[in-house]
Amino acid sequence: MNALLAGLAILVIGDSHMVTRDYLITTLHDELVAQGATVSSYGMCGTNAGDWVYKSTVSCGRAERHGKAAPQIDRQPRAPGWTIDELIAANHPNLVVVEIGDTMAGYGQKDFPQAWIYGEVRALTQKIAAHQLQCVWVGPPWGNEGSSYHKTFERVKQMSDFLSRSVAPCLYIDSTQFSKPGEWPTIDGQHLTASGYRAWGKDIAAALDGLVSQGRIKK
Amino acid sequence: MRAVLALALCLAAASAGAAEKRLYPSGPPHGVAYLRFANLSPEPVKIRSAAAELALPAAGAARVGEYDPVTPGEALTGIVELAGKTRPLQVTLAPNEFVTVAIGGSAGAGPEITLLREVPSDFDALKSALALYNLDKECAAARLVAADGKIEVIAGVAPDKTGRRLVNPVAATLAVACGSGTPVPVELGRMAAGERYSVFLYAASDSRPQVLALRDEMAPFRP
Repeated sequence: MNALLAGLAILVIGDSHMVTRDYLITTLHDELVAQGATVSSYGMCGTNAGDWVYKSTVSCGRAERHGKAAPQIDRQPRAPGWTIDELIAANHPNLVVVEIGDTMAGYGQKDFPQAWIYGEVRALTQKIAAHQLQCVWVGPPWGNEGSSYHKTFERVKQMSDFLSRSVAPCLYIDSTQFSKPGEWPTIDGQHLTASGYRAWGKDIAAALDGLVSQGRIKK
Repeated sequence: MRAVLALALCLAAASAGAAEKRLYPSGPPHGVAYLRFANLSPEPVKIRSAAAELALPAAGAARVGEYDPVTPGEALTGIVELAGKTRPLQVTLAPNEFVTVAIGGSAGAGPEITLLREVPSDFDALKSALALYNLDKECAAARLVAADGKIEVIAGVAPDKTGRRLVNPVAATLAVACGSGTPVPVELGRMAAGERYSVFLYAASDSRPQVLALRDEMAPFRP
């Protein structure tokens, strides 16, 4: 164990990749805690970036986890959503990590909804910036093609490239750099297997380590 | 700030204190398009849809509304009213399209409607996006220039067309020039990274060129 992230109070928010045990709410969270960070993680299934700004209702589950406690997963069909303002006030982070991408990429849609994505992303990044907090945005992994989610490698690349231009002042972690297309197996084209979430969580934590080492994330 | 379109006055039948209404239903989250109205006439105007009414004043930044998300592929209809004279509006937007309904005209002639259509792809959180809309029919090729006139930021914008460019987010002193005429200063202030700005060139009632500059606002899509 290293203590590279000691001194960081990290608030992690994300979509369905954060709402099931053994997903990022376990693997990424554990990695960050193991490196000395104080961590609170929250996931809201199916949410776009704007759902963390404007009060929303979550239809397919939400989860939260604090420190070394186990994840609390709520599968009620109409759970109230959290807003970023509420979570910042409750957890006092000095770093916000956002994992949202797949829900906004318009998989299966002919047109890439870039204007709408930009508006959603800006709504959240500007809200975080208003709290004068540093932030990091984690883009989507490749997943697999040919599923009911209609995820394609081409659209994932397009989404990742677009997010990289859209998330400033947040820094961007490009998850497509962590594996080859299709290398991490999925259970449904979008959600990874347990080994995939272990690899993704480890790679995100390593990327955060790198940003800290470069001085791009301040403690 | 809530969507400008949602600031619209409710229809006459609506009671005081009724919920804010939008002119058109919000589009789907994927494939959404954006519509706004700009009053460049010397008179206040009203835009009525089947659902609501929007009033735009004849002065100030409120002359231009927010971009409201709307459903692409659906015909949006309404009535534009200026000094008691009306003109019908019908517009169908494509996915990702941004349409500005520019309203000119006069109390004597009634409203004139010009649709300024674009599908922008210049979204960049580190730059500022500048657009020059030429609504002055007397200006064959509008230019957005640095105030010293030596640097062209956007050039060759024909009447009823749009020019667009990404620039560094700085406090630039800009002006709109046309032919050999005196450039008209642009009051835009310091541009912010990631934001989008519109500069409208239009003719005043005495035909003198006028400029209106503002930061674009996009109303959020919410079901």
